[in-house]
Amino acid sequence: MVRPLGTLEQHVMDRIWSWGRPVAVREVLEDLQRERTLAYTTVMTVMDNLRRKGFLTREKDGRAYLYRPAQTREQHTAAFMGEVLAGGADTSVTFLHFLDHIPPEEVASLRLALDEHLQGRTGTAP
Amino acid sequence: MIAPAVLAVLAVILAVLGPTLLRRMSWLERSPRIGITAWQTLSVSIVLAVLLAGSSLAIPAIPWTINLADWIRTCAMALLAQYSTPGGAVVSATGAAAASAILVRVAYCLAADRAIAARNRKVQLDALALIARPHLRYDALVVDHPAAAAYCLPGRVRQVVLTSAALSALDHNQLLAVLAHERAHLRGRHDLILAAADALQHAFPRVPAFRTARRELGRLVEMLADDSAARHSDRTTVATALVRLAEHGLTPAAALGAGGESAPSRVRRLISPTRPLGAGKTTVAALAMGLLIALPLFLAIAPASAAGTMDPCPEDEQSLTM
Repeated sequence: MVRPLGTLEQHVMDRIWSWGRPVAVREVLEDLQRERTLAYTTVMTVMDNLRRKGFLTREKDGRAYLYRPAQTREQHTAAFMGEVLAGGADTSVTFLHFLDHIPPEEVASLRLALDEHLQGRTGTAP
Repeated sequence: MIAPAVLAVLAVILAVLGPTLLRRMSWLERSPRIGITAWQTLSVSIVLAVLLAGSSLAIPAIPWTINLADWIRTCAMALLAQYSTPGGAVVSATGAAAASAILVRVAYCLAADRAIAARNRKVQLDALALIARPHLRYDALVVDHPAAAAYCLPGRVRQVVLTSAALSALDHNQLLAVLAHERAHLRGRHDLILAAADALQHAFPRVPAFRTARRELGRLVEMLADDSAARHSDRTTVATALVRLAEHGLTPAAALGAGGESAPSRVRRLISPTRPLGAGKTTVAALAMGLLIALPLFLAIAPASAAGTMDPCPEDEQSLTM
C-alpha cells in the first residue's frame, strides 16, 4: 500500500532537512553514494525539481549553487497538516476524515455520554 | 401536454418533501446501507422526473401499435403535427434542450470533481512521500503533528494516514478500530458515493434537496464504516476512539462547520443498544425505493399508453409530404 513515490526526492530532503545548513549538490551526491551509485546530473535534477516545487531555495556561491530547505521539516509538516485538517471545499472529494470538527462543548458532552455508557456496562456486569 | 407538467410537479414535490420525509425516518441510521440507497434513490428520482419532463415535451405521446409500418407512420404524423405548429416546435426544442443540458451539466460536474480530486490526491501523495513514514506494525502512514487525526486517501493508491498525536491518543484496539473504519471507506469506495452526491450538488447549487442528500450521505457513509469497524472490534471501542480523537484533535479557528454534526450522532448511535433493521422495515424501504424510481417512468409512459387505445391514424385523410 505504501507507494515508493519519489524515493530519491525523499532521501535528498531527509538529508538536507537533518543537516540544517546550505549544501551543494556534490555534498548530497557523496552522501547518497554511500548507499548506491548515482550520477551527479541525477541528483542535480532532483534538487532542481525540489526547488521548483518550493521545497528548496538556492543561492549562488562561487561557481556552484548552495541549496537550503524553504521551510524546516516541522514547518512544512505543520503547513501541510493545517491544510488537510482545515478541510477546504476541494478536500471533501479528496479524502475522508475519520472525524470532522466538533465544538469543544460538544466533545465534553460526548465524553460524558461515553463515560455513562462505560459505567453502565461495568455496573451491570456481574 | 399533461405528462411534462405532472412530471415537473412530481420533481418539485420530491425535492421539497423527500428530504424532510427521509430525515424524519431516523430508523434508516440503523441500517446505513439502506439509508444510503434511500438518499441515492431520491436524488436519482428527482433528476429522472426532470429529465423525463423535458423529453416528454420534446417527444409527444406516440400511440402504440404492433404494426411497424403503422407505427412509423403515426410517429411521423405526430412529430410532423408537433413541429408544423410554431409553438409546438419551440416547446419541443425547449424540452430537448433542457433535458440534454441537465445531463451534460451533471456529467461535467462529475468529471470536473473527479479531476480535482485526482490532482489533490497526487499532491497529497507527493507531500506525504516527503514527510510521512510508514508505521512498522499498522498499514498506515504516520505524520508528526500535535493534533490527533486520521484520514484516508481513496483512489487507485489507497492510503490511510495517522498523525503521531493520534497514535499516542489511542490504544492498540482503538487504533485497529480506526484503521478498520478507514479501510471500510477504501474498500467500499465510499468516495464514489460522495463524489456522485457532490456532482449533483455542484450541478444544481440552488436545489436544497441535493445539499441535504450530500450531508446525509456523508453521515451515513461514516456510520457504515463505523459498523464495519465495530464488527472488527466492538461498538464501545469505536465510540471511545471517536471521543478520544475528538479530545486530542485541535479544532482550528476556521472550522468550516460544513456538515460538522455527524460525530455526536455517530457516538450516540454506537453506545445506544443496537437493533438491526427488521425484515418488515427493510421490505417497506425497498418497496418505497422501487416506487420512487417507477413513479416518474410511469408518469412519462402512461399518456403514451393511453394514447395507444386511440385510433392510430386517420386513414387516407392526408398524404405525408416530407
